[in-house]
Amino acid sequence: MKLLTHNMLTSHVKGVTKGYPLLIKATEVKVNEVEFNPQFVSRMIPKLEWAALVQAADGLGHREDLPGELVPNYETNEDFLKKVHRVLLEVEVVEGCLQCPESGREFPISRGIPNMLLNEDEA
Amino acid sequence: MMEEAASQLERDHVHSVYDKIAPYFNDSRYKAWPKVRQFLLDLQPGSIVADIGCGNGKYLHINKEVFKLGCDVCRPLVDFAWSQGHEVQLCDGLHLPYRDSCFDAVLSIAVIHHLSTKERRIRAIKEMARTLRVGGRIMIYVWAMEQKRRKFEKQDIFVPWNPNPHSPSVFNREHAKPRRRATAQSVSEGIDNTDKHRKVRSTSSVADEEDLACNTPQQRTQRLWFFSRSLDSVFDFGSLAISRSSSRELSTLSSPAGENEGNRASQRGRGRGLIKQVSSFFSPPSVIGSEEDVFDSVTELHKGQNDPGGNNNNNPNNNNGTEKQSVSVSLAEECGSLALPDLVPFQAEHMKQSGDESEGGPPVKEPQESTQSPQGSEGQVDGSCLRYYHVFREGELAELIENHVEELHVTHAYFDHANWCVVAEKVQLWKI
Repeated sequence: MKLLTHNMLTSHVKGVTKGYPLLIKATEVKVNEVEFNPQFVSRMIPKLEWAALVQAADGLGHREDLPGELVPNYETNEDFLKKVHRVLLEVEVVEGCLQCPESGREFPISRGIPNMLLNEDEA
Repeated sequence: MMEEAASQLERDHVHSVYDKIAPYFNDSRYKAWPKVRQFLLDLQPGSIVADIGCGNGKYLHINKEVFKLGCDVCRPLVDFAWSQGHEVQLCDGLHLPYRDSCFDAVLSIAVIHHLSTKERRIRAIKEMARTLRVGGRIMIYVWAMEQKRRKFEKQDIFVPWNPNPHSPSVFNREHAKPRRRATAQSVSEGIDNTDKHRKVRSTSSVADEEDLACNTPQQRTQRLWFFSRSLDSVFDFGSLAISRSSSRELSTLSSPAGENEGNRASQRGRGRGLIKQVSSFFSPPSVIGSEEDVFDSVTELHKGQNDPGGNNNNNPNNNNGTEKQSVSVSLAEECGSLALPDLVPFQAEHMKQSGDESEGGPPVKEPQESTQSPQGSEGQVDGSCLRYYHVFREGELAELIENHVEELHVTHAYFDHANWCVVAEKVQLWKI
């Protein structure tokens, strides 16, 4: 699970209203090399919940010097875009779980795949 | 409870079937539908797209400029998609784990026809609409009731899975092995060689049935569909039946609908077993064959087959294991040439009809005289691999959206091979 994916994921347990962002508890993290496409990253940024991204990266120990807030004119700031690229697309949680911030329910991640299936009583 | 029944039906006849057939699935269906491909290619760079019900992920490699993620309930298929390098999750289309308005586009290709009630289909569409941003677009493909060469008689059907749909006498054995894009795909290696010679078709393709039909005069075509009462129309859905397609392709040599007396016995025998087998998924058994016209012949058949006491309330679960087993296998063989909208098209299979089968006896497993290749892997897939479909009538999908999903506005509606297709845009709703 990449952090870009994590940024879209939310807890959808019945009754939960504050299920985002999910807390990552990782037991295995991988960093891959992914081709850098500055335009792609730049266009992705407005779609992100920035604070959730920073929090997630931080929790994994991969934040490095990613700023807590978006820098102005990031579109042309290649250094910044590279940092974002790394965190969004290169850091990957292979094993662990995602925890609902409200209910505490844990959704397992195994072999890189989050299992977001709900039990009957949670749906 | 309708909801429970609907979930159960989908668990038994969608989820568990795909779990079983996943290894076969991967081999033949990695080609993308051209119009779906185009939809993806037309997206703005930097878009985020979700393929809801992505199966083995065959759309997830298209367009490197956009971020794609996929999800499905079927673990083996999702695992395969991940092995191809895609971002995928396990989840249920009725409860999507994505925040509101986070996607620029959504795909739902050959998915919602597996939901067994109208209400659930609407919910699935609404869930997808929820995750779309305003101005974002969704493309939905569902199987059509009306197909080029035939029409399903009913909208709610069970379709058996056949892993070996082709006859080698027809198929060009020079077809290249399907291209493998990843190293981790050992599941499909165990498949009978015939499968590798299948033409590669995408999931929802009736494809060019016309090209392949009527190859040899002695080949007969037989189609079997299993009709279900729609869960929307009844509360007791214990009545299921086998019926024959009214397709014109039915050869007069094969056993046509109820006309050939000598073969009736064998058909009935199988039919009875299947009905019991399938209807054991539902309760209560006593309503078997109770209502619609299409089930009348079945009702009579039950009476004929039962003990002199005429008690029609056999507990289907009393079918002894062997009878069930032999019915399943013979069923799989019979249905071996089912032409499915999603499989490589055309199957023509020579069916041997034996008039010997005694009416009262248990269905005998018939050796299948067929020009098909050795059914090496057939034993692995039995008649319990029946997939449930609600096939859509013309206009039904668009109407469903227009009438029940106000946050979506249909922009395109068309027929693509065997599917009804809709593209819709998420609109901002203003509540006063």
